[in-house]
Amino acid sequence: MGSVTRTKLMSVMALCAMIGLLLMPVLVAIPALASDGGAPAADAKKEGGEAKVEKGKDVYYKTEGIVSGPPAPKTTDSEKDYPRYNFESRVLLWFANQQHLYYGSFVLAVPIFCMIIEFMGVVSKDKALAKRYDQLAYDFIKISLTAYSLTAILGGILIFTFLTLYPAFFQYLSGIFRPVMHIYALMFVAESGTLYIYYYGWDKMKEGFLKWIHLSMSVVLNVIGTILMFLANSWIGFMMSPAGVDEQGRYLGNIWHVIHTALWNPLNLHRILGNMAFGGGVVAAYAAYRFLSAKTDEERAHYDWMGYIAMALGVSFLIPLPFAGYWLMREVYAYRQQMGITLMGGLLAWLFIIQATMIGILFLSTNYYLWQALGRMRGAEKYQRYIKYLVFLLTCGFLVFITPHTIVMTPAELKAMGGQQHPVLGNYGVMSAKNGGINVIITTTVLSFVWYMRGNKVSTVSWSKFGNIFMGCFFFFAYLNIIMLAVYGYYIPANVRVGLSVPQVATTLSCLFFMFALNSVMMKGAKQMGPIEWGKISARSQYALIMLATAFTWMMGLMGYIRSSVRLFWHVNEIMRDNSPWAYTHTVGFAANMISANVLFFWISIMFVFWLGALAAKKAPVEAKAAVPGRAAAPAVGH
Amino acid sequence: MKALMSVGALVGVLGLLMLIGMIFGVVPSNTVRLVEGYMPMQVLSELAVFVAGFTGLSYLANSMGMAFPRFWQGVLFWTFVQMYLKFRIYPPIPFSVRAMYGVVSFVAVFMWVSANEEDWKKFRQPILNVLDANTGFHKALRTMYLILVPLLIGGFSFVTMKPSVDEPIELRTVHPAPPASTKVHGKTYTLQTSQNPYRVNLEGKYDQAYSNKLIVEQGMGRLMAPNANPWDEKAEGYLKYVREGGEIFFQNCHFCHGDNLNGRGLHAFAFNPIPANFTDPGTIAQLQETFIFWRVAKGGIGLPNEGFPWASVMPPWEQHLTTDEIWKVILFEYWHTGYYPRTWD
Repeated sequence: MGSVTRTKLMSVMALCAMIGLLLMPVLVAIPALASDGGAPAADAKKEGGEAKVEKGKDVYYKTEGIVSGPPAPKTTDSEKDYPRYNFESRVLLWFANQQHLYYGSFVLAVPIFCMIIEFMGVVSKDKALAKRYDQLAYDFIKISLTAYSLTAILGGILIFTFLTLYPAFFQYLSGIFRPVMHIYALMFVAESGTLYIYYYGWDKMKEGFLKWIHLSMSVVLNVIGTILMFLANSWIGFMMSPAGVDEQGRYLGNIWHVIHTALWNPLNLHRILGNMAFGGGVVAAYAAYRFLSAKTDEERAHYDWMGYIAMALGVSFLIPLPFAGYWLMREVYAYRQQMGITLMGGLLAWLFIIQATMIGILFLSTNYYLWQALGRMRGAEKYQRYIKYLVFLLTCGFLVFITPHTIVMTPAELKAMGGQQHPVLGNYGVMSAKNGGINVIITTTVLSFVWYMRGNKVSTVSWSKFGNIFMGCFFFFAYLNIIMLAVYGYYIPANVRVGLSVPQVATTLSCLFFMFALNSVMMKGAKQMGPIEWGKISARSQYALIMLATAFTWMMGLMGYIRSSVRLFWHVNEIMRDNSPWAYTHTVGFAANMISANVLFFWISIMFVFWLGALAAKKAPVEAKAAVPGRAAAPAVGH
Repeated sequence: MKALMSVGALVGVLGLLMLIGMIFGVVPSNTVRLVEGYMPMQVLSELAVFVAGFTGLSYLANSMGMAFPRFWQGVLFWTFVQMYLKFRIYPPIPFSVRAMYGVVSFVAVFMWVSANEEDWKKFRQPILNVLDANTGFHKALRTMYLILVPLLIGGFSFVTMKPSVDEPIELRTVHPAPPASTKVHGKTYTLQTSQNPYRVNLEGKYDQAYSNKLIVEQGMGRLMAPNANPWDEKAEGYLKYVREGGEIFFQNCHFCHGDNLNGRGLHAFAFNPIPANFTDPGTIAQLQETFIFWRVAKGGIGLPNEGFPWASVMPPWEQHLTTDEIWKVILFEYWHTGYYPRTWD
């Protein structure tokens, strides 16, 4: 009894220690911030009055502040400002940055999955299922632990690359973000400590009250991780849309202004959703790899289930991702019209077409996986013959979504077309049509999910016929509404048209929430036509998961490049000019090759991480192996 | 069900025959016209009708015991989509876009034929038959493929690598990003915040909502709104300025941009690309008035680096028109096309 109490006490203390770690950077930073802001004023007083205090006007907030830092350096193309090897420094930095971001995103996303899955295990009444969820969460965190070390190593490489190749720029940035960078470093310490306690305490805290403490630790871990990401986002937000400095780039003493730039919040939301979708994709690919190399039916069943859970979690964050992206772009346009036009209509417009293609691939892969998954359920055959209509809807949406506004063509084709805009396809190239296209795609994905969830079930509620008709009508009118609004968008002012995306998104989300809810109610106590035969899914489905993950990775690389290159020849937009020999925008072909190289390197290195994870599993003691859920007979669990 | 599918089949056969007739010139290509303003939805609707028609055909063939092999269904449907894009849509679609559509429709056909195990088996059976070559016919086919495939790849490589005298592909930036501000006749205009001084209500105050009500109505044709005729001698304020802008347009711009502002003026086809078509929803309808102001004032030579390959012969109109005249002509262009300038509020 005494030992149990002591363990409980120790657990509570561990949790408190974590919260302490979380708050420590803030506590450490408060006096630093206070002294930072007060220093110039104090100096001024010493020197005998307010006349000596130089004030500047914030470039974004338009407020006045006391100049507290040097102006942004005016660099020259020299070894002093841009030391270099006989190679393009920007490419080296690009590589280091991208790899760090891939791993960073992965290790931030996976603990969130662990938290969700562990929670599902804790609240599940089915003991066998609860155990499977718990093991799955443990498998996830195990994968992320090795990746965590790699993230730190890559972070170090990134810093060294900045310091050695872009010293003037990094000195300026670190001068402004000095307190933030220290908080960031301390948060990293807190994250590491929390992660290790969380991972190594798993077995000791697997039941009862201790399990809840353990679950709470995952919440703290994720709060730290999210703050870390927000802080890092503030740097790129500042580079794109600087605030808290005057026109010369002099810091005006308000660190919150520097962090809270015009694009910080949209970036935060977009990145957190993107990380989650990416993390889900990578874990799903891991499961697919293990499924394809599995030797036994039990292994196949386990990894089929793991792939499904990871995919479902990833896609649940993928669905709102385009809307978050839309908000980000809206804020970009609001911040600087030129930046928006460069992105969506000008120099980088073709990269956005590639992005649209990747988004389409993500949704197509998801739908394809779900249709394949219908094959492991008895009774789902009735839906399979309608799949061709879903293919048609998805394809139409996809074709509209990827139609470019700026068409690549030879001068002869241009002449034959009779102008820069095609009279038919030109209409698909603008935002109104594209909003319709993507919403059709997402609504179809929701429909595929609904079919999957009721695949092997027959509703037994008395109003099932009415419910089915209602659902059919709901989807029909949703499609109709989305398409009508897309057409209507051509006939109204642009500011109203932008607002039309709200009812379109609302329609799509209504399908998601109402139809999922209604379906769940209808399927409560439903007649099972047969169990879900985990492991009996086609190999094609697993390739779809790998495709999903690869598309996520490629798209992240692409969007990172677009976001960064929209600054054109500025290190910090309109404040600090890039005077290196590489202050030009790469060709689309070079950028695509570079992104592909980054994706390839990431996948090769993450395969190594997976291999390490598999190695640890092989060396696990016999009793631990017995606890692997896949080895138990797979229960006929829900989705 | 059978009756419904029969109707579908009939529609499918008729549509297919009509398309084949149009391709070979038996049926006039304007028998079923793509109607301006409705073309995008018309194309999607036509494709939907074809899909319904083919489904009906397949259903009827199945019920008569003459099921069409899944493999050929897939191959022929993909071929149909390519033919539709190539021969139905006019003016011709540039190859880069047709290639994108071709790949997407290929993926779509793959997703359809492999959506479940049964269909996938049916689809790949003819391929496996050729590879296994258990009959003389399949053996001959396999041998033929063995010769044809390398030849095709070789031929493709030869054509790709052969030096060409064609002009290279250009990735023209249609809407290069404008500068933050532009100086015209000694005055600096901030593009994000400047407004057209002639977009005013009867009290002389800037009023976009007021002017929006008076522009022509879009539809099958472009018709003037009731009581909104700029050429009425009593027209005042906004409408009067539209008339003045129209006069400037017809004195200076219509030679290239055309009477209907569709980029098909008297001199238009001397240029490649032809001048901008303002009636297209992808041009002025997407832009702020200040963007147009900057483009008109600075012309083709004022395009920024991003405007590569600077394929514009637009003169810098600030050398010929006053600032007021430029604003008025822009007012007229939006009025005439029935589009609203982009705003950010």
